[in-house]
Amino acid sequence: MTANGLIVSMMAGLFLVFGYLGVPVAFSLIAGVVIGTLFTPVSLPSIIAQLFNGIDAEPLMAVPFFLLVGELMTSANVVVRIANLSQALVGHVRGGLAQVVTVFSMFFSGMSGSSSADVAVLSRTMARPMAEEGYDAAFVAALIAAAATIANLVPPSIMAVVYGAIGNVSIAGLFLGGIAPGLMIGFGLMIYCYFFGPAGFRRPRSSFWNFTEATKAAALPMMIPIILLGGIMTGWFAPREAGVVAIVYILVVVIPLLNFGHLRNLPRDFAHAGLIYSLPLITIGAASAFGWMLAYLRGPIVVSGWISGLAGNDPYKIMFALVALFTIVGDFIEPIPCIVIFMPIVATLTEIGGINPVHMGVVLIVTLAFGLITPPYGLALLMASKFVGVRFSAALRASLSIYVVFFATIAACIFLPDVVLWLPKHLFPESVGCFKNPSGPGYICP
Amino acid sequence: MKQRYALVLERDRHLKWRVLDPVEQILMILCGVTLTGFSTTVFLDVVTRSLGHPWLWLQEVTMTFFVYGIFAGAAAATRRNDHLCLSAITEAMTGRTRLVVETFNRLVVLGAALCMVWFGYLNFLAGFGNFRMPSLTPLASLYAAIPLSGALIALFTVEQLVNGWRNGFAGRDLEPAAERLEREPFPI
Repeated sequence: MTANGLIVSMMAGLFLVFGYLGVPVAFSLIAGVVIGTLFTPVSLPSIIAQLFNGIDAEPLMAVPFFLLVGELMTSANVVVRIANLSQALVGHVRGGLAQVVTVFSMFFSGMSGSSSADVAVLSRTMARPMAEEGYDAAFVAALIAAAATIANLVPPSIMAVVYGAIGNVSIAGLFLGGIAPGLMIGFGLMIYCYFFGPAGFRRPRSSFWNFTEATKAAALPMMIPIILLGGIMTGWFAPREAGVVAIVYILVVVIPLLNFGHLRNLPRDFAHAGLIYSLPLITIGAASAFGWMLAYLRGPIVVSGWISGLAGNDPYKIMFALVALFTIVGDFIEPIPCIVIFMPIVATLTEIGGINPVHMGVVLIVTLAFGLITPPYGLALLMASKFVGVRFSAALRASLSIYVVFFATIAACIFLPDVVLWLPKHLFPESVGCFKNPSGPGYICP
Repeated sequence: MKQRYALVLERDRHLKWRVLDPVEQILMILCGVTLTGFSTTVFLDVVTRSLGHPWLWLQEVTMTFFVYGIFAGAAAATRRNDHLCLSAITEAMTGRTRLVVETFNRLVVLGAALCMVWFGYLNFLAGFGNFRMPSLTPLASLYAAIPLSGALIALFTVEQLVNGWRNGFAGRDLEPAAERLEREPFPI
């Protein structure tokens, strides 16, 4: 092994050892890279400067806004209205509350960009009623965790923002490209619950009047995804601006009209959201320093050389290799540092395979979302099992059969690029590299 | 009894000195202020641009709030044990093993924090030679966030080390992880 290879291995080893001993991810990364740097001619101030350079990216400013949207919606207790609408829609279908969980998650994902937020909200809202109706706790935890991963795919996904900002890929393209896979997972889970889940308590179908009332009650919060996506697609706003417009809408319209008393809690919400957003971003800064050192040591070139040696320039083989890599790595580390550290490898291989960067991005984001429910570090499943009060191993066993939904979605995204690219090509062609036809109407897409 | 500092987390009280509670309170307020600040500046950016009279300096102010918010939050999260972790293996440990591992973990954090202080300070000094556009403010004004945050992280880590050795890291009022998670901010 070369000297560079040894240093890279040492850095990675130190990061994993520190991380699994319980040192916070950001400090494990900083400690690993600082120790690695001592064996190179690189100066330590330049490594620490990377903490700043890693977060000095305008698109990353969308992260706090999307988190704040989720925080405000949750703490103002507006989400109950969305749960009621979901129940009016699918409460009568076989599976009962299991179907409601999935639909609720599909709706709430359009407001919160984080699957952990979804796990918390779904558990608080749905776990108790499901337990009262006799659903197996392990199944409840597995379903909540799986449904919550949809938040990483549909706008305003934080993972998509980070991927786009770090990889210089259109965030709007990733948002639009993630919608179909997100819906595939959602509907896949509904089909799974219908045929293989517990029958649950079958409610009578909601009357038209009940359905109208539930829709009316949820109408204001349901405008948020429209504001976010509509603003970005029409080109009126960049993602971060769409986030802030959504916040203004919540502060001026949603909370005053639906939960006026909550206005006095806003300072606390902002303080908590301010704390929450710093956590992934300091990790991004540390991961940037780590990734910068890996790049200096030519790690990405070596790894992409291995992968392209195996896969040639066949886009399918390259995507499979990266999905395998991200599945393994995503089982052990957080998705966000994973994206930041491995982005140079992904960018090189995307170019070698001639793959559309949005296509590649969405495939990898689905893979990382899947990693949230796989052992040993399936964060969403860990959180869901703790909230629901069931052992992780039991929740894991219950989720094994649900993996089929994710395998099918990942395979569809790889082999049928239009699953990912069709929507962005039609709604925002520039986001996937299409350009205006110089000699006529429409766009030309490479 | 009403809590004196509303934003100070009472969890892990055995690892905290009351004298540092105001610092945590101020950092939490700073988190809220920076988030409010850059939400406002981004909104004003949209408005002024839509009106055809963009205020170019707004982007600098936005970035300042953004960067200081991240480093203030990183410091506050250290005292509140809110940082993202790969495992909570130490919570399952007891006795001397736990003491050793918790101490080792804090020493790693302390080492990283001291690197942020010293090398961040060197960057801060170097930052006086680089300027932000269009205001020509030295870049040092942003770089200062790193050593400041590092110093606070180091302080809170020493606080936890000393109190952990005195009172034990586990504390007397262990609560189930699910209840803790339910009341805390969630990671990404």
